[in-house]
This record gives sequence, C-alpha cells and structure tokens, in this order.
Amino acid sequence: MSGARSLGGTHRGVAAFLIQRLTSIYLGAFTIYLIVYVVSHPIGNYAGWSGYFSAGWVRLAWGLFVATLLAHVWVGLRSIYMDYVKPTWLRFIVSTATALALVALVFWAAVIFLRGIA
Amino acid sequence: MQRSATRPVYLNLVQIRLPIGGFVSIIHRITGAALALATPFALWALQASFESEARFEQVRALLGTGLGRAAVLLVLWMLVQHLYSGLRHLFIDIDVGVDLPVARRTAWVTLIASIVTVLSVGVLI
Repeated sequence: MSGARSLGGTHRGVAAFLIQRLTSIYLGAFTIYLIVYVVSHPIGNYAGWSGYFSAGWVRLAWGLFVATLLAHVWVGLRSIYMDYVKPTWLRFIVSTATALALVALVFWAAVIFLRGIA
Repeated sequence: MQRSATRPVYLNLVQIRLPIGGFVSIIHRITGAALALATPFALWALQASFESEARFEQVRALLGTGLGRAAVLLVLWMLVQHLYSGLRHLFIDIDVGVDLPVARRTAWVTLIASIVTVLSVGVLI
C-alpha cells in the first residue's frame, strides 16, 4: 500500500472531481447561452461586435468563462495524463508544462478582457 | 511499489473493443483534449478582433474561407459533443440513467444530438 496514497492526501481526488463538475455547470450554461445568442443575433459588423463587448458585465462573464474553462481543462488533462503517461518523470514534465501554459493563458485572457475592445 | 503488476488495468485504445458507453467516454476525452488545444487559437482570434475594425474583418475573412468554416464547424461539433456527453456523465454521477439499456441509449443520443445541433446551427448561421 505504498504507491499513490503515500504521495499525498487521500481526498485530493475529491477536490479535483468537484472542481471538474462545478466548473462544467458554468461552462455548459455559458456555451448554451453563446450558441443561442449567436443563432438569434448573427455576428454583424464591427460596430455590433464592439457594442456587445463594451459592456463590462459581458467581458466579466467571458473572463469568468475562460478562467473556469482553464480550471476544467487542468482537471481533465490531469486525469488523461494519469491514465496514459506512465513514467513519473514524464508525467511530471508534461503536468508542469501544462500548468504553466494554463496560467499563461489565464493572464493573457485577463489582459484581453481588461483592456477591452477598441 | 509493485502495485501495478497485479492490478487489472487495461487501457490500450487500439486493442480494446469498446461498448458504446466506452466509445462516448473516449470521444469525451478526445474532444476535451482537442478543445483545450484549440483554446489559444480562439483567444488569439478574439484578441485580434478586439484590436481594430480592420483586424476584425481579417479574422472574419479567415473564418469565412472554406478551411476556416470547416474549423469552426469542427470546433462547434467538439464543443457540443463534449457538452452532451458531459451532461450524460453528470446525470450518471447522480445515479440517473445508470441502467445499462438506458445508458446505452443516452450514449447514442449524445452522438446523434451533437450532429443534429451542428447541422442546425450551420444552416442557421
């Protein structure tokens, strides 16, 4: 019984499980909103695009979407790595690279939505 | 440290013969991973579209080409398929639709519904 349990707490998986499920609710709701919105308000010219994104709450909802998405991605990719990337050193490298990339994407998205649309 | 020697873990995707539920589960993972890889491109397009009217039109023209349109529809399909199979998994988490005949049927439903959704959105846009 050494192995996985000695590496960390036994309840770590529960947090990951909950993060994945809770984020999926916002992601799903936002995706449905987006599809319905785009179908009912086809993307027209730049003025319409700019008008839509000039609202602060719209950019907040989008920023929240990207942040939630990347948390969801982390849990999902992590479970794929646990199943298919067997050598510990390789899993460590792949996980670290993924984590750094996701944090970079969060910062990038923050810049995009804080700066807003021209 | 020799736990894996006896554990019955068999995940070789090339050799495994998957029932429909397993197939949808793998599709869920593949679409999830592919969507994760698509995220930087989506952010890039969004950022470009925010910069100026000219850049916005550039991105729109790019997505309007045959290849661009195909990419948009593919991403839409992956998104919708992942959404539907994810919803199915959420229901199974709370013990809804666990019985095998029902679970098999809902697995098929996610596959068909995602295609129907993409075709409808593709026609409507």
